Amino acid sequence: MFHSFNKPLVAVLLGASLALLRLPAVAADAAPVDQATIEANRKANAACYECHSAAAVKKPPRADLDLSKLKESHIEPAIFNPSDHGVMDCRQCHAKNHYTEYPHAEAGKTTTSPCTECHAAKSLRLEPQFNASVHAKNSGLKEKFSCNTCHNVHVNVIQKRLKDPEKIVAQDNHGCLECHNSETMFARFAPDDEKLAGGKKKRPDIDTIHGWLPNAKAHWNAVRCIECHTPEVAEGKMLSHEILNKEKAEKKCLACHSANSSLKTRLYRHLVKGEQQKYGFTNSVILSNSYVIGATRHPLLDNLIIGLVLATLLGVLAHGVLRALAAMKRNKDQAK
Amino acid sequence: MSERTYLLPLWIRLWHWTNALLIIVLTVTGVSLHFADPKLPLVEFSLAARIHDIAGLALVAAYAFFALANIVTGNWWQYVPKPPGVIDRCLKQARWYVWGIFRGEPHPFPVTLQNNFNTLQSLIYWAIMYLAMPLLLLTGLIFLFPEFAPDRLFGMDGLLPVAVLHYLTGAAIVMFMIAHIYLGSTGNTVGAMYKTMITGWHEH
Repeated sequence: MFHSFNKPLVAVLLGASLALLRLPAVAADAAPVDQATIEANRKANAACYECHSAAAVKKPPRADLDLSKLKESHIEPAIFNPSDHGVMDCRQCHAKNHYTEYPHAEAGKTTTSPCTECHAAKSLRLEPQFNASVHAKNSGLKEKFSCNTCHNVHVNVIQKRLKDPEKIVAQDNHGCLECHNSETMFARFAPDDEKLAGGKKKRPDIDTIHGWLPNAKAHWNAVRCIECHTPEVAEGKMLSHEILNKEKAEKKCLACHSANSSLKTRLYRHLVKGEQQKYGFTNSVILSNSYVIGATRHPLLDNLIIGLVLATLLGVLAHGVLRALAAMKRNKDQAK
Repeated sequence: MSERTYLLPLWIRLWHWTNALLIIVLTVTGVSLHFADPKLPLVEFSLAARIHDIAGLALVAAYAFFALANIVTGNWWQYVPKPPGVIDRCLKQARWYVWGIFRGEPHPFPVTLQNNFNTLQSLIYWAIMYLAMPLLLLTGLIFLFPEFAPDRLFGMDGLLPVAVLHYLTGAAIVMFMIAHIYLGSTGNTVGAMYKTMITGWHEH
């Protein structure tokens, strides 16, 4: 199932910040769309916004609109336009033939083009990863999931374009927390579990299951859930779509908190190419956003401190040995 | 039997050893966090983080007790180098450490109830306890509550200056600790000053 218009509120909240970016209109894995096409698409979309917008909900352009349904299916151009799909005509995904009149044909309300129609190659590559994911393996879950379940197609901007780690974290964690931090949403997708009353898995409390993680909230603001909940991939490769459960997720702090931090191949993988050891710091691209103990170090300062501590140790040791030798000599002299 | 003075009241000794234990724990865990490396035999990172947080808060409490007790008892006066002749007395003390001690010369400034610390000692103790320690604790507290750190500074995370200051003051205190433990052996006998720190009695 492709849930096309199921996230209007999410779109408004998350998209509001992304809209401020005014990102260039470039499709994720395709050649840039020319300006004339973009303008033609935006013009065509304007016809949809006449009804499918917050303004239309407030002031309906027609008397016979079903406002309760419209409230759940409006999109804000200011949020949609800068998103990855914002260069497209709404009808490229929302069955073209069914939107020529009002009320729209019934099929139009339920049919959307599958993501694979455009993203065939990527989909083929990601499918085995998704099939190994907790979202596919848990009973009764796979059929409920589409790309849009986690990646809001009307809002999201890919990491390469978004660049700012803070915005990437906000966007991507929102995709996870929307269900994992909401009883209602989790219940909608909850996997079957016959052992439990009601036959459905209960939402695990996020604070409780992350109780082992020091400063959990600081982590959630600075990194994405998927930094730990996806397997390690080779440098330069896209993150895996195999979402790991809590048993399999990364629990070794040093994966990130060390000089060879895996954040370089994850959250910072697009920024790391510009690493210039700013002010002499290792992983300065990470430091430009977050001080990560163990990862963002200054080798020169570290060597200086180690040198001073060693000099102090050697100093007191030498002083002690000399004192002992001098005392022995004095005792010897006195004995004479 | 030699003459002796009851130099260190119980509260100072209790505070001193609490402080010592906490600083050792914080040094081991702090090194494990800062120099985190899978190849080094350090305390496991999340355990080190938890211990460091708890011991750090305990050190804040111990310091608050120390500062308050120093005011109430008037012990703070020991940390004030008294002019005139501060520099001369420091130089005389330093000369003893680098020369006189090897020749078996007596301490240039014998310990009295009024002057527990020699001038060089009081200057260094003052710098450590009233300059480095507050900075270390303040930066540690900001580390614990990073929302109080500046958001960004010089194009870097605003926590960077806090972290660097914490690291530098921590390193200064570790170096002080090494020297302090060693200099504890420079009493009338090698063990005399350690004994005083336990019993409170100074043997003249």
